[in-house]
Amino acid sequence: MPEMVTLTIDGTEVKVPKGTTILEAAKQVGKVIPHYCYHPGMSSPAMCRMCLVDVEGAPKPQASCVTTVMENQVVDTESSASVANRRGVLEFYLVNHPLDCPICDMSGECDLQDFVHAEGRDHGRSVEPKRVFGRDDFGGDVLFYGDRCVMCTRCVRFMSEVEQDERLTVVERGNRSVIDTFFEKGLDGTEWHGNIVDICPVGALVSKEFLHKTRAWDLDHTPSICASCSQGCNIELHTAENLVQRVKPRENLEVNAWWMCDYGRHDYEWINHGQRIEAPLVRDATGSSRTTGWKDALTSLLEGASGLNGTSVQIVVSARGSNEDLAALTKLQDVMGGGDKVFRVSQADEESALPGFPTLARRKDLGPNVGGAELLGISRVGESDGTGGLEAVKDHDGIIIVLGDNLEDQDETFGANAGLYVYLGTHECAATKAAHLVLPVTTFAEQEGTFTNHEGRIQRFWPALQPPGMARPAWLILGAVLAELSEGVAPRSAAEAFMNLAEAVPALRGLTYEGMGLSGSVSETAQHASLD
Amino acid sequence: MSDIPFSNPGWAGNTGEFDLTEKEVRGDDFVGDRPKDGGHPSGAGTMPYMLVDKDPDAPLFEGEYRQRFEKILTRYPDKRAALLPVLSLAQELRGHVSAESMDEVAGLLELSPAYVRGVTTFYTMYNKRAVGRYLVQVCTNISCNLCGADEVLQAFLRYTDAEMGETSKDGNFTVIEAECLAACGFPTCVQINSRYYENVTPADVAQIIEHLKPEGES
Ligand code: SF4
Ligand code: SF4
Ligand code: FES
Ligand code: FES
Repeated sequence: MPEMVTLTIDGTEVKVPKGTTILEAAKQVGKVIPHYCYHPGMSSPAMCRMCLVDVEGAPKPQASCVTTVMENQVVDTESSASVANRRGVLEFYLVNHPLDCPICDMSGECDLQDFVHAEGRDHGRSVEPKRVFGRDDFGGDVLFYGDRCVMCTRCVRFMSEVEQDERLTVVERGNRSVIDTFFEKGLDGTEWHGNIVDICPVGALVSKEFLHKTRAWDLDHTPSICASCSQGCNIELHTAENLVQRVKPRENLEVNAWWMCDYGRHDYEWINHGQRIEAPLVRDATGSSRTTGWKDALTSLLEGASGLNGTSVQIVVSARGSNEDLAALTKLQDVMGGGDKVFRVSQADEESALPGFPTLARRKDLGPNVGGAELLGISRVGESDGTGGLEAVKDHDGIIIVLGDNLEDQDETFGANAGLYVYLGTHECAATKAAHLVLPVTTFAEQEGTFTNHEGRIQRFWPALQPPGMARPAWLILGAVLAELSEGVAPRSAAEAFMNLAEAVPALRGLTYEGMGLSGSVSETAQHASLD
Repeated sequence: MSDIPFSNPGWAGNTGEFDLTEKEVRGDDFVGDRPKDGGHPSGAGTMPYMLVDKDPDAPLFEGEYRQRFEKILTRYPDKRAALLPVLSLAQELRGHVSAESMDEVAGLLELSPAYVRGVTTFYTMYNKRAVGRYLVQVCTNISCNLCGADEVLQAFLRYTDAEMGETSKDGNFTVIEAECLAACGFPTCVQINSRYYENVTPADVAQIIEHLKPEGES
């Protein structure tokens, strides 16, 4: 137990561990002291002078980002000196600021805009012409609008302390100082530089990909999990018009802190991909197919399966399926008679860790739920590019159920010999031609559920988009079939589906949906394993 | 110039086992003998002639310069700390610190080029562009200004036939403004390469320039 210190901030008493800064302590009483240069994930240069507060007994205002708490300290963040300080500092920030909010991507989520709006002067008093830098392409996904910069050096410190590839610097001095790269050698080739756009408190660093795409206030933010590798970074999906517009990291000190990799950040277009399967498709004996409703589709599934009692059931799943989806399918497979369970996942050549936070790495497995698949006894097959490995399934004459794998490397003979071939996915392709049933399922962005990351941490994600047409989560579809076959009760929510799963899989026992909350939990078995 | 160790005990760099020669302290700007005629009252010509042609393509670092570079490294706990003197050495050799020089120095000191660029551009005494044989820095800060620095500056521009901040066509002169040179008691102060010229008036300028022009040119 760390030594605790009691102090008073704006009249409220608060107890924090010794060594905490006033700025962090103030967060505990719900007070965010305005700041630019401070970021909890990096060193504090105390250079922006926004965070000065009155401390009783101190001769002058103290920088709350570096001043640590003391017993019985009395801090006033709203004293006339503190407010006057912020007002004055903000006026200086605006001396050269272009005030181009109407065309600035940061508008609506900008700390300069917010702070000035809250406490700045109505009108600036500077009559001098403004200094003009213009904009600069920093390479990678980053565009720099020099005139908007408040010189907090967060971006410089991220590159030197966290990514540890010092590509950025402050060049020149005084009011000519500006952030720059080494001439033409920009950020190209770095793998985490998207984070500097996130931590830039103003619109000086913006994402080229997001540039002028939509306004910040039109975006809905949904907590989610990155589906691009098995690290399981906590993210937010920012959506508008039922499309993912961008992806931002979400704080979770156990997994990704405040960061995410550029690969994951930009790998979301597949979620927006159109031409989805929108309605169940049933193919009859003559080979002609028709779209139909769910009731009819599931009835044909049950009919098809009933004639095939005793044959083995081969399943192919994707590492992008949620724990609930995969569990529903493996359970159904057991009830129908059992068989092989396989998944395929593409792999990167190597892991790339973030040097300043090395527990975060873009993992080799480029799927979010390899952990979940393995926990459910599904085995990995195929090549490292996610192809092959389905020779045994392809010509199987019993039942084949494919969930989520897009089978891009397969041709129309896939499943042609099967007694029953059910395809649950998002897009049709050559290999779905022979399927007796093609059922539309939702992506992780359209449903609620959980993924298990590389260290066995189970993390929840929430629906950010409306699913197309009749697409439903796989756990719901398969749960209904299962309930019919085993005369049980189908789960009505993702939480119920998870409960069923947690009861069935010893490794997950004791975990609850509520308990996981926003930051997930590690199952006890995984914890024991890591202790051994 | 003699190679007797530079013996100013007050100079901070000259402590412990490091015996520095005058050349190591002042660089290559001072060569030749002191002129016999006493030179110009402003100081022009009273010191050894200050001219060694810079070679922008000289390698970093070879021979004598390599030895000086190695010596600099021994004076600091790590390579990063040696950055300023190493940049000065590069500038002494090449006349200015170009992007390529920054990159090479970064390589020598195991630093990132961007960091070296940040440091180089922070200090005005590093020339980021090539300059003429003589870099004329006219102080236009307050004391000098009150004593007519602007006119002195204009006179230098006129006599050298150079644009402000640019190099004259013959490659001899680059004239720039400088902030206080800490010689406020002797305004106007003009620094030409590493020499101070004090109490300069517009009337002195023609003569100073004559003193500086290489023999044979006029
Ligand atoms: S670009 Fe942004 S993060 Fe970087 S110093 Fe400027 S304001 Fe700060
Ligand atoms: S490290 Fe993995 S989980 Fe994190 S953002 Fe990158 S791809 Fe996504
Ligand atoms: S946040 Fe404290 S000085 Fe910048
Ligand atoms: S003002 Fe010119 S030397 Fe000080």
